[in-house]
Amino acid sequence: MRKWLGLALVVMLAATPVFAGKVAVVLDVGGRGDLSFNDMGFKGTDQAADDFGLEMVEVQSATAADYLPNLRNLARTREYDLIICVGFLLGDALDQAAEEFPNQKFAIIDSVVDAPNVMSIVFRENEMSALVGALGAMAAAHYGYPNVGVVLGIEIPVLYHFEAGYRFGIDWGNKKYAAVTGTAKPTGLLYTYTGSFSDIALGKAATEAMLAQGAVGVYNVAGPLGIGDLEAITEFHRNKGTKSGPPYYFGVDANQDWLGKAMHALASGMKRVDTGCYTAVKAVVEGTFVGGITSLGLAEGGVGISKFIDLLEFIDFGISAGALRPEDRDETLANWAVNRGTIPAWIWRAVDELEAGILDGTILVPTADTGAEMQAIRALYTLGAP
Amino acid sequence: MTTTDVRPRGRWVRGVRRTLTGLHPALESVLAAVVGLLVGAVLMYIWGYDPWRAYWALLRGAFGGDYEIASSIARGVPLIFTALTFSICVRAGMFNIGAEGQMYIGAAAAVCVAYFQLPAGLHLLVGILFAAVAGAVWSLGPALLKLTRGVSEVISTIMFNWISRFLVFYLVAFVLVDPRQAQRTVRIPVSARFPILVQGTDLSYAVFMAVAFSLLVYVVLWHTAVGYEVRAAGLTPTAARYGGISIKRTMLLSFALGGVAAGLAGAATTMGLPPTYAIISGLPELMNLGFDGMAVAMVGRNHPIGILFAALFFGGLNAGGRVMQFYGSNPVPLEMVRVVMGAIVLAMAIPELIRLFPALAEAGRGLARTIARRKPATEEGA
Repeated sequence: MRKWLGLALVVMLAATPVFAGKVAVVLDVGGRGDLSFNDMGFKGTDQAADDFGLEMVEVQSATAADYLPNLRNLARTREYDLIICVGFLLGDALDQAAEEFPNQKFAIIDSVVDAPNVMSIVFRENEMSALVGALGAMAAAHYGYPNVGVVLGIEIPVLYHFEAGYRFGIDWGNKKYAAVTGTAKPTGLLYTYTGSFSDIALGKAATEAMLAQGAVGVYNVAGPLGIGDLEAITEFHRNKGTKSGPPYYFGVDANQDWLGKAMHALASGMKRVDTGCYTAVKAVVEGTFVGGITSLGLAEGGVGISKFIDLLEFIDFGISAGALRPEDRDETLANWAVNRGTIPAWIWRAVDELEAGILDGTILVPTADTGAEMQAIRALYTLGAP
Repeated sequence: MTTTDVRPRGRWVRGVRRTLTGLHPALESVLAAVVGLLVGAVLMYIWGYDPWRAYWALLRGAFGGDYEIASSIARGVPLIFTALTFSICVRAGMFNIGAEGQMYIGAAAAVCVAYFQLPAGLHLLVGILFAAVAGAVWSLGPALLKLTRGVSEVISTIMFNWISRFLVFYLVAFVLVDPRQAQRTVRIPVSARFPILVQGTDLSYAVFMAVAFSLLVYVVLWHTAVGYEVRAAGLTPTAARYGGISIKRTMLLSFALGGVAAGLAGAATTMGLPPTYAIISGLPELMNLGFDGMAVAMVGRNHPIGILFAALFFGGLNAGGRVMQFYGSNPVPLEMVRVVMGAIVLAMAIPELIRLFPALAEAGRGLARTIARRKPATEEGA
């Protein structure tokens, strides 16, 4: 029986047309359904596979012990033109797999693996975080709030990029506000490293503490903890009896503006993991694949602050994932427009101005990769801290 | 109206049940596996996946060659230990749900060897010892609560799991953390790692420790006086006590031995599994090994030798499950793979579950009686 099955399989395989190429996406234990990092990795690769006529498979990991076997299983088949690792947690496994399979092309998002056959795709998160920081600082000054907040995850180098850019942006916003209005109202920064990328309750607690200290908004830099951040902000509004305006929620990675029907999510610092994956597949198809670091920033469309067009794209993303009901689509768009309208037009123009400055290179946003570099930036932009 | 002439179906159901319960355990397991595979096939068919090709991928991925077999064994190694934790205590008449937490503590203790240097073999042995002692010490909490205050070990071990989970979360984040890679602890140095047994796979020499420990548990339980006392206490505590066996001693002993096993599961994972050799924040490489071990214990009929085969079966399911996700042109998403695995494991655990929980067996018998009676009852009414 089994032999017959094997034969049948061989016949079936022989009958299937040969595809032009194959790509694989390997996810960490977070898996699909996060509406953010992992889903975007899938989306970008899927899009690229569609555009270039490739076959794509997705491999999830039930435990961290599956990372290396998953990479080996795929590489051993010698069928895949590219294997994409979504997330820095796969870094250790890829380090080893890249050495064992030197002829296999790999790409990794958000981590640097030093091997000639690995394309390490990193993002200049400092750039979009600067835009969010500038927006937050000017909004705080406009509404008379003393602070703006950020809730971060585990203290790893990637998050230093966010913090460094955010600090620079707040400082830029403070100066801009003073220049435009003629009165200086420097906004302070409240920041917390929660030490977790999974404990939603920690995000809520940290946000509550920041709101109590007069934060005009909270920037989520801890993935799923944003759910808790937004919950705290929503409860704050409910107690105050307000439906829009400050305090605001600032999303991360994906466009999270539509969360909570866009009642309080003002903008998102987007890190386009989908663009990263797409870039890697495109490089392989076009024969321009090289190992080493590929850095994506505002100029490459790898990061950005959320715009209306992104909102439309990600609302459809949310609806297709079942996280948003189709009948809530119009209400979400209306809420978003009302909430954005609570920020005066000149502030939005100032954010655009900062974006243009970063794009043409006249404004350089600092970043930090080590604890020492981070300390230096904290000392440079103290933002209300003694 | 006599029962004999209106209940031919009842007799038939009873007959089937008697045949089933009288089966040889191995045959029973095979039958259960077939039922589980069929349920899994139906589930996959309903959701539009080709069950034949999916199972072929599973089989290929689990046992298709040296690489696959080594990967399957490697995946089963920690499960052997956590299964033993559960089984030893079942033999002593207790439900120890605490393997998960004891394993976390064992893993954290093993990571501590990164802070000092020793010659290669010795370093490894010290790490194993650390993990074993830490696991045993952690298991003493629920054991002493039961012995001195009569607290149910089911409740206390579950609560201790949560304590150890958050304790290890804390240790990983603040004490054992690698300052350059804050998402994980410091790495265990090469001198304290289990060497890889089959190059290019995850299989390390930890497998020998697992098999040896299984055999040790078998010898202790079935070929020593202490083991006899443990099993006697497990079968009928009152009779055992009347026979002069100290129930407290057997309980403490089985808890401690179980704790050692769970600690070793932590050691086998942190010191014997490439590539990280550290605990990652959120414990994604340890999570659920303790609970999966309980399922392995059920499938292995709570016998140390049965557990070896059950762990191989489990490792194969998991290793093959990885391959099901991409093999051939019939990729099955991980979520579906886990549903199918769940169906197979549940089917295989049912015989032992019924044996362990007489109430469950009684419910099953009641159901069989109801089914048997329904038909004649309606005929009477008509």
